[in-house]
Amino acid sequence: MTGDERTPNIAAVGAYAPRFRISAEAFTEAWGQFHAAGVNGKAVPDADEDALTMAYEAATRALEAAGNPDVAFLAFASTTPPMAEEDVTTRLGGMLDVPDDATRHVFTGSTRAGTRALVAGFTAGPWNDGVGLVVAADCPRGEPDSSEDHAAGAGAAAFVLSDDGPVSIDGQSEYAVEFPGTRFRETGDSTVEGLGVTSYDRETFSETLAGAVGGLEADVGTVDAAAVQAPDGKLPYRAAGALGVGVDEIRAGALVHELGDTGAASVPLSLAKSLADGHERILATSFGSGAGADALLVSRNDDVPVSLELDGDDPVSYPEYLRLRGDLTSGPPSGGGAYVSVPSWRRTLDQRHRLLAGRCPDCGALNFPPEGACNGCNSLVEYESVKLTGEGTVEAVTTISQGGAPPEFAEQQAKSGDFDVAVVSLSGSDGGEASVPAQVAGTEPGTLEIGDAVATTMRRIYTQEGVTRYGFKIRPLAVES
Amino acid sequence: MRDAYLVGAAQTDFGSFPDESYRSLFRTAFEAACDSVPAGIDPDDVDEAAVGTLGVGGRQLGLSGPAVTEHVGLDGIPCTRVENACAASGYAVRQAVQAVKSGMADVVLAGGVEIMTDTSSDATKYWLGVSGETEWERLSGTTFAGVYAQMADAHMEKYGTTVEDLSRVAVKNHANGAKNPHAHLGFECSLEDATNAQVVADPLTLYHCCPTTDGAACAVVVSEDVVDEYTDDPIRIAGVGAASDRVGLFQRDTYTSVPASREAAQSAYEMAGVRPEDIDFAEVHDCFAIAELLAYEDLGFCEPGGAGELVSSGTTELGGERPVNTSGGLKSKGHPIGATGAGQMVEAYKQLSGTAGERQVEGATRGLTHNVGGSGGAAVVHVLERESEVET
Repeated sequence: MTGDERTPNIAAVGAYAPRFRISAEAFTEAWGQFHAAGVNGKAVPDADEDALTMAYEAATRALEAAGNPDVAFLAFASTTPPMAEEDVTTRLGGMLDVPDDATRHVFTGSTRAGTRALVAGFTAGPWNDGVGLVVAADCPRGEPDSSEDHAAGAGAAAFVLSDDGPVSIDGQSEYAVEFPGTRFRETGDSTVEGLGVTSYDRETFSETLAGAVGGLEADVGTVDAAAVQAPDGKLPYRAAGALGVGVDEIRAGALVHELGDTGAASVPLSLAKSLADGHERILATSFGSGAGADALLVSRNDDVPVSLELDGDDPVSYPEYLRLRGDLTSGPPSGGGAYVSVPSWRRTLDQRHRLLAGRCPDCGALNFPPEGACNGCNSLVEYESVKLTGEGTVEAVTTISQGGAPPEFAEQQAKSGDFDVAVVSLSGSDGGEASVPAQVAGTEPGTLEIGDAVATTMRRIYTQEGVTRYGFKIRPLAVES
Repeated sequence: MRDAYLVGAAQTDFGSFPDESYRSLFRTAFEAACDSVPAGIDPDDVDEAAVGTLGVGGRQLGLSGPAVTEHVGLDGIPCTRVENACAASGYAVRQAVQAVKSGMADVVLAGGVEIMTDTSSDATKYWLGVSGETEWERLSGTTFAGVYAQMADAHMEKYGTTVEDLSRVAVKNHANGAKNPHAHLGFECSLEDATNAQVVADPLTLYHCCPTTDGAACAVVVSEDVVDEYTDDPIRIAGVGAASDRVGLFQRDTYTSVPASREAAQSAYEMAGVRPEDIDFAEVHDCFAIAELLAYEDLGFCEPGGAGELVSSGTTELGGERPVNTSGGLKSKGHPIGATGAGQMVEAYKQLSGTAGERQVEGATRGLTHNVGGSGGAAVVHVLERESEVET
C-alpha cells in the first residue's frame, strides 16, 4: 500500500451482533467463578446463526448505508467459517448479488484475519466496476470450563471501500514473530484453547502489538479512540503502554465488555463503533496468535454512513447457552428428513438467496417460485424475472411447539425451542405481492400477528448429508420512531 | 350411467397394534366387510379393487394394492393403490363408483390400510409431513399441525372464531367416539381438557389434533344391475364429487376455506340433486378441530365464518339437527391415513342401515362423507341415500 497513491477509503460501515446475551453472573452461578476478566456479558448466536449469517447481516447494513453499490471485491474473515473447506464467499456473495467475476478472498487462521482482510481491500482497490466489501464475522468457542469459552462472544462488522469515502487510512504496518502456544485450535476441533502461561501470553500480546504500532510512521498519542484486539476485557488495557495510547482511548472503542471476545471481528467491530461514535482519529490494532499484528491509523474526515445492530438484550441462562451451542442436544433425528437433493436445493437458490420471483406476462400476477402454472390465471407461461424487495406483511402465523416440527428442524427446536412460521405477502420490486411460507427469526415466538410488517434476512435452514442449506427467514420490520 | 350402491362396509378397531401387519389388518377389515353384506357375498364376485394407503414407514410402497388383495384371496383381480394422502381411500371409493357406473365392473372392493405407530416418533414426524408441499412449505418448518394452525389463525382473525370453538369440536367428537367400540381414543374429554392441553402449533393444542393410528377399512360397491343379489335395503351412492388444489397453503386463493372441499361438495350435491339442508348426518375430515369448522362452511352447513356459532349451537351434536362425526371423527375414532376415507363409509353404512347402535341418528336417510388430502390438495365428497323411505 505504501507508495501507491490510490487507496480506497471506507465509504460505509455495518455491524451486527446476535440478540441473545448471557451475563457474567449467569456463568458465576453455574461455575462458581467467571474466568473472563473484564467481560460483563457476551452475545450468543441463535441456533440458526453462524459466521456466514452474521456476515450477511453486517454486510447488508453496510451496503444499504452505501446506497447499494455494485461489489467488485469481497473479502470474508473469520476464525469460525461454517466449513473448514468450502468457499463461503460464493454463498455470501450469492446472497449479496455479488457478480460471479468479482474478486473473492477468505481470510482465516487467526484472530488477525479481520484486519488482514481490510489491508487486502485497501491494497487491491479502488475498483472501476464497483466497491470493495470487507466482512469480518466470528463466534469463537472453547471447552465449557475454559477461560476462552467464558470470554467467547459473537458479532460481525462490514466495510464498504471506495475512493470517495469519508474515512481514510493514513498509516498501516504489520509485524509477525514466532510466539507459539498462546491461543490455538487443532485441525478438526471446534474449540479454541490456550495453555494459561500468563506471563508468556501477556508478553506475546504486548510485544506483537508494539511491534506493529512501532512500524507506523506517526504519533499515535493523538488518537481519540483505539480499536484493540480484545480476547477479554483486561488484556487490551494492559497493552496501553506498549501501544502508546491511554486506557480512555481503548475504552472508547471497546465492545468486549458487552459482546465478549469476537475473534477476527474484534478490531473491525471496535473500529465500526469508534466511527459511529464520531471519533476522528482511530488506532486499530489486531492480534492473531502465532503471533502477528496489524496496525492501522484511521481518519474520519466527514460523517460516515453507518448501520449498527449491536444492542440486543434478550437474556439467556447458562443451560440455555449450552443448549443453543448444541452441547446438550443429541443431533439430527434418526429416520431422516424430507429429501431435497443438493442439486434440487441448488436449483432454488435464486429464490432462497436472491428472492427472485416471476411476473406473469398474461395476467401480471407475481409468482414465487416463478415456476409452473400462474397462480393468478393458471396458464403455463414464461415468467419475467422480478426481485422481491424483501419486505412484506404477515397473512397467517403460528408458533410451532413440541410435536409440531418436521424432523429437518428437530435439531434447531432442541437447541432454541419454539419457533414461528408464517405465510407472508412479499412485495415485488415493481409492484404486486406473492405469498410465501417463511420461518420467523430474531424475535420471541408469538411476537408477530396478522398484518405486521416483516423483512427477510438470511439464516441456516437445515443441514442434511453434511451440507447446510441457507435461505431467507423473516424478522419484524423495525418501526421508525 | 347406471347407479352405484354401497352394500357392505366394515373397519378394524383403530388404535395401536404392534402385533398386526398391514396385511393382517386389511384381512380383518375385508372379512368384516364381507360379513356386513346383508345377503352375504362370495369373494369371487369381486371384479377389481382400489386400496388407499400412504405407506407410512415405507413398509410396502410399491404394489401395496396387490400385496393386500392377493393376501386375502382376491386372486388375480386388477388392483390399484390410490395415493392422495389422507383422501386416499375416499378416492378409492370414488374409483369404485366410477368403475361400476361406467359398466366396466359390477362389484368393486374399495378399502384402505395404514400402520403408523410402529416407528420412532422422529420417523413418524417425517411421514406426517410428506403430504405438505415439501420444498417451500415443509422447509419453512411446518407439518400438518402447523399448516392447519395457520388456517386457524387466519379464520380466527377474519371471523372471530375462538379456541373454545375448536375445543367444542373435540368435546363433541370424543363424546361420540366414547360410544364407538372401534375408536382409538374412545373416551370423553372436557372443554377444559381440550383448551388447556399442551400447544402443538398455536392455537392448536394436543386435543385439537387427531392421533396417529393403525387401522383398515373396506367398502363393497356394486352396480344397480346386481344390487338385489346383496341386499333388500339398498344404499345408493347418489353423488360423488372430487377436486384438487395447490398442495401448499401459500399458493391457494384463501386460507380460511378449503376450495377443493367446496368444489367437491358442489359436484356431489349436483349429481345427487340435493342441497346441504337435505343432509341428515355427515362424516367430515376433522384431522384438526379447525378442519371440521372449515368443513361446516365448505359443505354449506352454514355461511362462511358461521362455523363457530354452528358448533356452539349443538346442531352438529349426536342429538342435534345435523349430527357431524357420530363415529367420533378422526379426532376420537383415529386417523390411519389411508383407511380414513373408507372408514367414513363404514359409519355412513351403519347409519343408513340402522345399525349404528348408541350412535344411531333417528330416521337417517341421507348422509355425506367428506375426505380431504393434506391441507386441501385433494378432496372427495360422497352423498349416500337410503332408497326405501327416500322423501321425494
